[in-house]
Amino acid sequence: MSRTIVIDPVTRIEGHSKITIQLDDRGEVADAQFHVTQFRGFERITQGRPVHEMPALMARICGICPVSHLVASAKAVDDIMAVEPTPTGADLRRIINLGQIVQSNALSFFHLSSPDLLFGFDADPAVRNIIGVARANPALARDGIGLRKWGQQIIEWVAGKRIHPEGIVPGGVAWPLTAEVRDRILAGVPEAIAAVERAIAWYKSDMMRWEEEAATFGNFRSAFMGLVDRHGNVDHYGGWIRVVDADGKMLADRVDPKTFNDYIGEAVEPWSYLKSTYWKAMGYPDGIYRVGPLARLNVAERTGTPRADEELEKFRWRVGRVAGSSFHYHYARLIDTLHGIEKIEELLRGPDILDKHVRSFAGINRNEGIGVSEAPRGTLMHHYKVDDDGIVQWVNLVIATGHNNMAMNRAVLQVARHHVKGETITEPMLNRVEAVIRCYDPCLSCSTHALGQMALRIQLLAPDGTILSELAR
Amino acid sequence: MTDAPRARAGTPARAGGVEAEAGAPRGDPPAGAGGVLVIGYGNSLRGDDGIGWHVAARLADDVRMRDAVVLRRHQLTPELALDVSAASLVVLVDASEVGEAGSIAVRRLDPPSGAGPAWTHHLEPASLLALARNLYGAAPTAFVVSVGAATLEVGDGLSPALERALPGVVDAVARIVAGHARA
Repeated sequence: MSRTIVIDPVTRIEGHSKITIQLDDRGEVADAQFHVTQFRGFERITQGRPVHEMPALMARICGICPVSHLVASAKAVDDIMAVEPTPTGADLRRIINLGQIVQSNALSFFHLSSPDLLFGFDADPAVRNIIGVARANPALARDGIGLRKWGQQIIEWVAGKRIHPEGIVPGGVAWPLTAEVRDRILAGVPEAIAAVERAIAWYKSDMMRWEEEAATFGNFRSAFMGLVDRHGNVDHYGGWIRVVDADGKMLADRVDPKTFNDYIGEAVEPWSYLKSTYWKAMGYPDGIYRVGPLARLNVAERTGTPRADEELEKFRWRVGRVAGSSFHYHYARLIDTLHGIEKIEELLRGPDILDKHVRSFAGINRNEGIGVSEAPRGTLMHHYKVDDDGIVQWVNLVIATGHNNMAMNRAVLQVARHHVKGETITEPMLNRVEAVIRCYDPCLSCSTHALGQMALRIQLLAPDGTILSELAR
Repeated sequence: MTDAPRARAGTPARAGGVEAEAGAPRGDPPAGAGGVLVIGYGNSLRGDDGIGWHVAARLADDVRMRDAVVLRRHQLTPELALDVSAASLVVLVDASEVGEAGSIAVRRLDPPSGAGPAWTHHLEPASLLALARNLYGAAPTAFVVSVGAATLEVGDGLSPALERALPGVVDAVARIVAGHARA
């Protein structure tokens, strides 16, 4: 007789979801599904709005990574206006976007995932949280807080506010950078670098503890996608789309992001509001690929900054040129953060960063526009169609968590097969199924605005819906 | 809300010595180094849940608060532990599902001595104090001012009951600050 295990909702992720695990007649795991249970609706509610409002509206999708949506949206409106931001305007957008990358990565690693890594996946949840980290390893917690605060301050100082900032606008940014703000950010660079390097050293010293998890946490063959610059290095703001397979073989390179629809398809499953994107050339569901920090490192030649490149070399020595285990998202996220800090410094030291020309102005010159950038969780795509008056007619958002949807399902299945034995629901299984989802740091706020603190419940159901056993936290 | 745990996301801003609405970039605020820090928090788009924001806005123009730093936040996050640790007095203003609409409750806050509560993105007030103590070795005197909410429905205005209560909440915060100054 088949059984279904339900984890509802999943905790310490951005938004609401549940997981069901289907057992077959022998009690073996047959399938697993990651459900996003709330509806987004931003693509509909923005129809009829003037397109110049879109960046500000899109920023409201998420309180965690509003800058990412701001950047992608502003780029889409740039496309509709047929303008390029001034070089300084583009660099300031890059700095703000990287501030977002730093603060969101810090949130994911230090606040959400470090409790698992520090205490172990089977530790008491009452201790396995940021308060527990503060007691057991206060230096680690301080570094997380410091990094996140620094990233948020960059957003606030350069873009006006740390959440839902208004400094990124169609055509560039709203105001130039002052020397005082530049210097204040630069003053924090050494400590930010030191903090993330301490975290990398701690992670590397401890990672062998998690050999079993690394082997079973979404360790499978898939393609990877990310943006790269003209040298093939990591680019969080612009450049071209590159896709490699599990062996590092190039599936596509120098793809103009504005043509992403030629390469990426979107499938809808009845059990989730989250779309599943796939690489068209491989079809659905075979065209599975991953995005985010791990993918950025896997597709790129290098990061392009010295300290991060040094760590990338060690990363590849430890986990391979193309890391297949989703567990390594944690490690990759730290290197991604280090690169972000170095890049911010490089941009701030640019000779024209204080230039007053930071915005291009234009009207509606096209009826369609696409903006693509790298969000903390991966490649983000905004696609708009407008009428001749610039009124939004149609919107499609392809978000990082959608790119990773099939991979997350595959990862949950793998973990469940490794840890689910018979009909008994165990805490270790529950903890690891949740933890593998957190590797991807899914942002379901892109699907909904989260309200309510998330509890945790897992159920074992008979085919007729009868609850055979239940575990609540 | 102090009594109904839930996630929040939102927008801080400031002007002058106190936070203000969005605009051109400004510097990092003094986080009440050795002084008074008031944090009004809640979801300003959820009716009375935004009482902390409204109180903070009133305090911005209140001469009794001239030496205080006033912040508006959608939720209490770990980053605030740094600011809290630098202050000598912290006053947190939030809505509450407990009590009659417009009722004002003031309680002194002690950091928890045992394990902190599980956390997703935000902290409860006592956990914020505990973080400040554990990470930065300082836990200032702290009070929570809770205001009974009438409605938490979507909307950026207060209910009539909380509109009426607003001056009283501002006075309650000012009295705490004045009492601290005399001590």
